[in-house]
Amino acid sequence: MVVLEVRDLRARYSASGPEILKGISFRVEADDFFAIIGPSGAGKSTLIRCINRLVEPSGGEILFFDREVTTLRGRQLRLLRRDIGMIFQEFNLIDRMSVMDNVLSGRLGYTGNLRTLFRAFPRDDIQHALSLLDRVGLLEFVDKRADELSGGQRQRVGIARALMQTPKLLLLDEPTSALDPKISREVMALIKQMATELEVPCLCNIHDVQLAMEFCNKIIGLQDGNKMFDGPTGEMDQAKLNEIYAMEVL
Amino acid sequence: MSDILASPAPKPTVVDILRSRRQNRYAKGAFFGLLLIMVMWSVKVTVIEDTDWERIGSVAKVIEAANRFIGIDFSLFPSLLGPTIETLMIACLGTLLGVILCIPAAWFGALNITPYKPVTYPLSRLMMTLSRSIHEIVWALFFVAAVGLGPLAGVLALAVRSIGFIAKMSAEAIEDIDPGPVDAIRAAGGNDFQVVIYGVLPQVLPQVLSVIIFEWEINIRRSAILGMVGAGGLGLVFFRQMNTFNFHGVTSVIIAILLLIMLGEVFSYFIRKTVI
Repeated sequence: MVVLEVRDLRARYSASGPEILKGISFRVEADDFFAIIGPSGAGKSTLIRCINRLVEPSGGEILFFDREVTTLRGRQLRLLRRDIGMIFQEFNLIDRMSVMDNVLSGRLGYTGNLRTLFRAFPRDDIQHALSLLDRVGLLEFVDKRADELSGGQRQRVGIARALMQTPKLLLLDEPTSALDPKISREVMALIKQMATELEVPCLCNIHDVQLAMEFCNKIIGLQDGNKMFDGPTGEMDQAKLNEIYAMEVL
Repeated sequence: MSDILASPAPKPTVVDILRSRRQNRYAKGAFFGLLLIMVMWSVKVTVIEDTDWERIGSVAKVIEAANRFIGIDFSLFPSLLGPTIETLMIACLGTLLGVILCIPAAWFGALNITPYKPVTYPLSRLMMTLSRSIHEIVWALFFVAAVGLGPLAGVLALAVRSIGFIAKMSAEAIEDIDPGPVDAIRAAGGNDFQVVIYGVLPQVLPQVLSVIIFEWEINIRRSAILGMVGAGGLGLVFFRQMNTFNFHGVTSVIIAILLLIMLGEVFSYFIRKTVI
């Protein structure tokens, strides 16, 4: 089943600015763990942020379960966003709030303003948050402030927060770039495991080709806003990698 | 750029340098000379010509007049307790109401979250400027005229006077936040209100609290004089002592004000330490 289909996606940050994405097309199936690789500035982050409209595309179509995303506004857009979880490079946690409040904030799309004001989440949400925190191994940190945790722990909170949305798609924007190699592998393994278990397809920006080859079943190679490669991980080889990264000065 | 490269500045000679130094000195001399003339003129017009020298009399008489304030009217203290508490209450309620008025002002005045920039941003800036450029006594006169004599006028005056500083500092704190958490709340499907409550507020809270405490401390000072224009508190007692020539009573009131302000400073020091 096709979860996400992107057709001829284009993006630029200002009307006169350079085009960051120059007509990207691909599709994500229900059991995919999709990697987007490419050098810095290739447009990986922009591409992923277009999917949930944190960045406005300037052209093309994005179909999420056959529904056009680029024209959604207001409440419809918020309903779309709560179906798409996102994990960030810099974790983007609320530092001065507890781990629990951070995980529960993944539920805001389902929560009314009055409950938001008093941080009064339904019992089911709290139960769900606790079980997710248990799964990511942070149960004993529930009441700690988010800024007291280490990088790896913070990203685990980010994972729990994204899964709290019961998403139908996970967007991962360089989830391991701020972490050391060992923790990176652990975090990727955790994401992969949880995604498989909950049957959530993933679309993952990653600049570490090793990790991409190891964890993902399909790869898109971006270079300067163009798609250079799109296929199963097995078809990727050194020659193609060299081509994708040709413009990067090493 | 290109013509600078094409013709490099000619190397100055010793004569040139001496001439430019001399010109520099003349310019400086002229500037300070002009400044001196302006100060002297101001003193002549405002102090020498506008003071009733006859009334002041000799130096001894000036000292004698000032001496009248030395001494404390202890009998006044019991009746100062009420007005002192009232002064403190005016400061607290004024600050609280000011904080409430600041919520829209800070929200509209922060460029990154202002709802509709062409309208809401100038509106907020107008509120802030108006609040700060009018003195609290003038605000108090205005509100005494509007709601009559008494502490309510003082509370309203301080509230309006507080908007400027609290809202400006809060809006600046909001403009400096890390956009990451805001993205995260948006990505989870949060609405604008939820973005503010979860993404913005926790980040700016320490700074905003510190500003509020600071403003509260200033408001104690302000509320101590508002009574002079009929807006309640110690100022009214002060004014009455002055009018009845009870100069020792004036000193008593000043001591009460001093004690209250010191209390406020000590208190705000401890809150600041625990909260921030």
